[in-house]
Amino acid sequence: MIECPSCGRRQHPRLLCESCAAPLGVELDCFAALGLSNKLALEPGALERVYHDLSRQIHPDRFAQAPVRARDASLRSTALLTRSYRTLRDPVTRGRYWLEMRGEKLSDDNKQVPPEIAEAVFEVQDQLACLRDAVRAGSPEVATMAGELEARRAALLSVMNGYQIALRGNFVLWDLGRSNAQELATELKLILSNIAYLTTLLRDVDFGLENLKAA
Amino acid sequence: MPQILGIDLGTTNSLIARLVDGKPRVIADPATGAALLPSVVAIAPDGAVHTGARAIELEPHLAARRDGAVSAVGFPGGAYGAVVRSVKRYMGLGGAELAPEDRARYAFADLSGPVVRFQIGDRTLTPPQISAELLRALKERAERATGDTVDRVVITVPAYFNDGQRQATKDAGRLAGLEVVRLVNEPTAAALAYGLGKLAEGKVAVYDFGGGTFDISILNVKGGIFEVLSTNGDTHLGGDDIDAAIVDWLLAGLPAEVIRDRHLWNSARSAAEAAKHHLTQATTAEITLEPRGHTIHKRLTRAELERLAEPLVARTITRCKLALADAKLAPAEIDAVVLVGGSTRMPIVRERVRELFAREPLCSIDPDEVVALGAAVQAGVLMGTQGDLLLLDVVALSLGIETMGGVMERLIHRNTTIPTSVTEMFTTAVDNQTHVDVHVVQGEREMAADCRSLARFKLGPLGAQPAGLPRIAVTFLIDANGILNVSARDERTGREHSVDVKPSYGLNDDEIERMLEEAIDLGEQDLEHRLLIVARNDAEQILAALAKQLGEYSHLIDAEERASVAVVAERLEAARMGEDRESISNLVEELNQLSTPFAGRIMDAAIKLALEKKSVEQVS
Repeated sequence: MIECPSCGRRQHPRLLCESCAAPLGVELDCFAALGLSNKLALEPGALERVYHDLSRQIHPDRFAQAPVRARDASLRSTALLTRSYRTLRDPVTRGRYWLEMRGEKLSDDNKQVPPEIAEAVFEVQDQLACLRDAVRAGSPEVATMAGELEARRAALLSVMNGYQIALRGNFVLWDLGRSNAQELATELKLILSNIAYLTTLLRDVDFGLENLKAA
Repeated sequence: MPQILGIDLGTTNSLIARLVDGKPRVIADPATGAALLPSVVAIAPDGAVHTGARAIELEPHLAARRDGAVSAVGFPGGAYGAVVRSVKRYMGLGGAELAPEDRARYAFADLSGPVVRFQIGDRTLTPPQISAELLRALKERAERATGDTVDRVVITVPAYFNDGQRQATKDAGRLAGLEVVRLVNEPTAAALAYGLGKLAEGKVAVYDFGGGTFDISILNVKGGIFEVLSTNGDTHLGGDDIDAAIVDWLLAGLPAEVIRDRHLWNSARSAAEAAKHHLTQATTAEITLEPRGHTIHKRLTRAELERLAEPLVARTITRCKLALADAKLAPAEIDAVVLVGGSTRMPIVRERVRELFAREPLCSIDPDEVVALGAAVQAGVLMGTQGDLLLLDVVALSLGIETMGGVMERLIHRNTTIPTSVTEMFTTAVDNQTHVDVHVVQGEREMAADCRSLARFKLGPLGAQPAGLPRIAVTFLIDANGILNVSARDERTGREHSVDVKPSYGLNDDEIERMLEEAIDLGEQDLEHRLLIVARNDAEQILAALAKQLGEYSHLIDAEERASVAVVAERLEAARMGEDRESISNLVEELNQLSTPFAGRIMDAAIKLALEKKSVEQVS
């Protein structure tokens, strides 16, 4: 139980005091901070509205003339709110955060390329290497190869889009109570690790294309 | 409770504004009607302080000795005053961080410490102390104009100001006897001023090119919420730099010792600024400088000015592109572009901004006033009178800590909405380690040494424990002012740890207390007395310079001229001990005129000598 710094009411930790609606200044998980316990399929527009409405209520600008304790609580709660919004706004960081809350960390040091995109990874690296050599040698095929790389980029983006849809699908199933935590964790780990690899790959492709433009 | 006012503490001009019936209004000086207070502070040899237009008037009297050999404005050990312009460029910086051109502009007591100290006569003053004089002048202006006490303000800062520069601005407020309720980023303030009148909504880009700094902010303005999506900038890029480029062009070809003459440089700077202003409408400007019997006459065309300004403007455009990329927006997705800052009056600046965003930028609110007006609106938000408006700003620079191998571990990424916080767990690396050292840095580089050191602190003392056992949770919180606060908690005992954060730059609390005690308001002194001291100082300067010149360049003056100069010099020597300011001033003027041909010959000789030396170098 904690005490509201504005009205003194004792209550369970939450963002706003149940009695006077002032910020309580306590730490919460990101979902609880935004009042979205256990929901994963979030609409960006709705999420933004919740964030803006809560910001209007608890931002330090609203407590500039309040006593020190209330001011301090507003600062802490707003820091929590902005951090929570930032984490949940993006479906990828949202999924990762959900895993972390359950102690399931998506291992960043996992060097093994997910089998589903392994082929694409090797092909892209090959393409980039060939392109570099061609540029260095001033080969006339640079333009064709650049075109191929552009096409590859589009293909990767559509694969990425597929994963994003799969991610959303899993979020919806969870919200409908149609999957259990274990199943969701397994699915999320797979999808999120593929997305992580794909993101790096797309960055490499973009970098290659940018260098080409610069040259 | 008295009203909270909004202050734009600018590099070139400062303003104060307030809300009148919910509308922001700049408060003009009731005596002169002027809205802008030039950000110029003159400190007389006796310690008297003048600001604004009055400081500019005093510039020729205080700026330098008249022997032409002087390369800086104040002097260690001498009873000379100084005129400080663009003090904002020095705020919150350590001596080692000063740009070379900023370092050459003034005399400094100490550039090795965590804060720059100007040497002015036998006093040393820090940038916050000098800025405090501007704030005090604005406070007095507002109090005279409104009849109300002013003790709480909102002050604007460049969005790209780092933690130290923000802290220094707060310190300046404190030294001026003001409570700084909030620091607001300048481009965000401008967006508030435009957004209030619904002049700019949707995705808004604010291009703020001022006297000394450049900022670009991209905002989403929707239903009273002003959410900054990204910001970028350069705290050392402004109209000052364009003026300096014109001065370089103007003085090109003259020998270095002539260029180093601060008198000449100052007059060249004023001339450059005037020409730049003239060229916002006209296409050519004539510039004439007369350094000691020498004449420089040049014609600056708008095309030439644009050639000089182009690289600087290009730098602002690069920053705009970076900000757009961070906001994940294409230029075409921007619904409105707002121009802020005096430098946006230059046609080339407007041209480049129009090109980038492919739309006509908005400038219906005076670019010199818009930031102060926005500050007044934000003051209203803080007072609770601007009901549904809310600013959600970001931190412009990433914050992190130095880890193994000097790598910077990023804890808070740039463009994160503030206030924000992150908690990091610390432990010990060896058994019985008593302290954990933490080094906080700010910047975008990979290595901590390449970022800006923000603060250091020690966690502990920790009792004797095996390595890895202590668990101390350190929370790094960036508040709504963009300033870092650190707190620490022992995870096992739940006890709050005291954290003694040592800022790497800037003033500590004790120093500020001492400065507050020392700050005797000399501005209240009798005007006539101050003028007498100024006149005496002038007399002393010209007599000392003349004595030196007569010794060194005796071959450049004949007996008759020497005798007539000596007569006036003797009369001045006697008069300067007395109280008659007018006769001192008249004699100074007389002696000045009488010795001008002599001074001109000295200058010519110096130039000739330099040119000969140069041609010898070229031959050999």
